[in-house]
Formats: sequence, C-alpha cells, structure tokens
Amino acid sequence: MAKLIKYEMRKQRTSRMVILIGLLVGVIAYCLSILTGNINMTAVIIGLGVCAALLVFFYTGIESILVLNRDLKTKQSYMLWMLPKSIWEILGAKFISALLQMAIVYAAFCIAVGIGCLGAVIRFEGVQALADMFQRASEVFVRGGVNWTDLVWLAVYIFIAWSQVIMIGFLAVVMSRTILLRSRFAGFLSVILFFVIDFVIAFGSDLMYRLPWLADFAGSPRINIWDGIYYLVTAVILFLVSGVLADKKLSV
Amino acid sequence: MMMECKGLTKWFGAKKAIEDLTLNLDKGKIYGLLGENGSGKTTWMKMAAGLTKPSRGEILYEGHPLCYQDKAEIAYMSTEPFFYDFMNVADVGTYYGDFFSDFDSERYTEMTEAMGLTREMKVRNLSSGMNAKLKIAATLARDAKLCLLDEPLNGIDYKAREEIIELIIRAADENKTFVISTHLLEEIESFIEYAVFIREGRLVDKVNLESERMKTGRSLTDIYVDIM
Repeated sequence: MAKLIKYEMRKQRTSRMVILIGLLVGVIAYCLSILTGNINMTAVIIGLGVCAALLVFFYTGIESILVLNRDLKTKQSYMLWMLPKSIWEILGAKFISALLQMAIVYAAFCIAVGIGCLGAVIRFEGVQALADMFQRASEVFVRGGVNWTDLVWLAVYIFIAWSQVIMIGFLAVVMSRTILLRSRFAGFLSVILFFVIDFVIAFGSDLMYRLPWLADFAGSPRINIWDGIYYLVTAVILFLVSGVLADKKLSV
Repeated sequence: MMMECKGLTKWFGAKKAIEDLTLNLDKGKIYGLLGENGSGKTTWMKMAAGLTKPSRGEILYEGHPLCYQDKAEIAYMSTEPFFYDFMNVADVGTYYGDFFSDFDSERYTEMTEAMGLTREMKVRNLSSGMNAKLKIAATLARDAKLCLLDEPLNGIDYKAREEIIELIIRAADENKTFVISTHLLEEIESFIEYAVFIREGRLVDKVNLESERMKTGRSLTDIYVDIM
C-alpha cells in the first residue's frame, strides 16, 4: 500500500507545491511588512492570508475526492485498476494520502502562523517579551492550565468528522461513475449525491438523538462522544459500501 | 485452459456491448481478436483484464473466478494513452517495477531506447505514435502469462511494427497466451494461431488458421471477408 500512497501523493504534488510556495511568499511579505513597520500592509496580508487559508483548508480537504473523480473520468484509471491490488488497498491509499496531504498543508500553516506571531512579538515587544511569553506559556503547561484531554478529543473529533466527509465524497464519486460511467454529467451527479448522502447521514444523526437515553446529549455545546461514534461508524460503512460497489460494479 | 469466458454480457446503459459471449483461451497460443469498430473487442479485453465488470456471465482464469490477484499475471495494453501526465518514460518503468514482479526493467530500458524514447521524455509531450511505443514497451517488458494487446500496432511506423511483432513472437512460448486486437490483418497473419471473430458483441467464429490454410488455402483476409 505504501507504493500506492507514494503515487497518490505524487498526484497531489503540484497543488501542494503551489500552496506551500504561496504560503512562503505570504510569510516573507508579512515579515517584510512588520520589519518596515508598514501596518497597513501587515493588515492586508493578514486579511488575505485568512481568506487564502480558508480556501486552502477547504480545497485540501476535498482534493482527494477530486483526484478520485479525475482518476475515474479518464483512462488514467487503468493505472490503478490494472494493478494486482484490492479495492480496499486502492481506496485506503487514497484516504491515507488525503490525510497526509492535509497534515502537511495544515502543519505548514501552523508553522507560518507561529513564525508570524514570533516575528510580531520580537518586532514590537522585543526579544525579552518573547522570552517572558515562553516562560508564561510553560508555567501554564506545568500548572495544568491546558486541558489536554479536551484538546486531544477535539483533534480526534475533527479527524473523524473530516474522514466522514471524504468517505461521503468517495461513495458519491464511485456511485456516479458506476451509474453514468464517463458521461459529462457524472461529475454533477457526484455533487448531488454528495449532498444527498450527507443529508441522509445528518437525518440519521437526528434520529439517533431521539433515542431516550441519548436525548440529553443532543445540542450539547461540549464535544459529544456520541457524535464521534456516529461519524466513525458511518465513515466505516461508507468506506465499505464504496469498496463493495467499486469491486462488484465499477467499470473503468 | 488459461481463460474461460462463459455467457458474458455487458450493457452500457441501454447499449449492449457484449452479448452472451463464450470464449475459451488455451495456454501458449496467440489469438487475433478481429471485428469491426464497435464490435465489442475492447470491452471484452477490458473484462478479461478485470477493468470492466460483466453485467452477466463469468470469467474463469486458470479455473477460478477472475480476481484482482490474477492481474499480477495478466498484462493489458489499452488502445488509448493511460499513463499519468506527470510521468516521464523512466517513471513509467519505475511504476511497473513497483507493482509487477514480472516486470523486467532492463528489458524495458532496452525496448524504449530501441524505439527512440529517452528516460526524460514527458508522457504528456509524446506524440500518439511515441505513446503507443511506450505502452507496448511497458507491457511487453512484463513476463505475463496472459497478454492482452488492444490495437498494439495502431499509430506505429512500419519499422517499429516489425520490431513489435518480433518482440511478441520472441516472448511467446508454451506458457504464455497473447490476444491481439487489430484491424491490420496482413500484419498478424504470419504469427497468430487462432482468429476470433466478433460482431455486434457476439462471437461469430473461432478459426484455427493453420488447419484452415491446410483445408481451404484461404488467407486471413479471405476468411475475414467471408465471415464478417
């Protein structure tokens, strides 16, 4: 499966490089603006950066779905389907490479934000302020001021929720390409199916919270373990259905 | 028996591409798959390669239902270009080497060089003829038991055609089966053993060319014209 992941990552290399180069340019421009004290330029860069980050996060999140759609739409699908690999390995590799792509891009954004914050503190408050900031932060960590359990749960929750989104996308693409093969409308049908499946899953979630012993958890502002379990179970079911459908019915 | 196709039918929407096709392939034989455009040759090949699922019927490979592991022994070359755009000639060899244990990298390099392809050439910049040569080199560099070649001589110049035919003849032995789909009857007549005729998705006839020649003296073109 590692080799499949290698080639899946290669398919996403161009977008990854564009995003990383764009980010690097943004960080350099930001650093220049704070070094020159041009506050207007700093504000513009931060504003553009936030907008770009939102777009990039969304695009990176769904990129693997777009790649699967492109794979199935073109003859390049033969490159995957002629291999002596099971459908589970092929879809699994696509899922793992989607996570890796997101991890790389998100980590790069975190580093960029970190550099931006450090630069601003050093420029406007001085190195001593930075040292004080680190000391205060370490004291907070040592005293247990950070709720690690909640943070870990939040990370797991986001991971599962986004995995479910990817799985909905995979199923929508596999279904549309199974029904319409290479029709020009298959992409459009994928989008429709995506929202239909998403609606069905959301409806299932509503039904789940109508169960008497779960009703109290509905609408809770805290991270809800039942949401996590529901997302996880539905993601696994979606993956299995996509795999079986692709294995039994999908023609490339 | 290398492969048995029993009652294969394939629908694409309302169109029936293959209808109740039963065809057996023996080990160590070279088959020519012949028929007009749209007769179902490519669809059958893609089903035999495991790319397309039959709507009805069954494919047995060496006695068991065709499964993904069998693709390790089946080489398929489609008529259209299918390599990833981001690849160059060397990458294609690496890809095949990564996934097919029967792939011979040295042989691939020899074949690509002989065909005028250099390692750095980008797949997306290749002409259709060069792309066809690359496909055939990648496919024939495998030591596959069943080799399915969909119009391998299309778009290839005369000299390279001779080389490809030579490669096929050299690769053929009692354990390997070749199925070659083509419209170039004269090019394949000298080396194919069976001609399989398909019309409108149905198997029309499977002719042993050697016995046919002995019996009637007809050429492959004569047989084609008579049957089709």
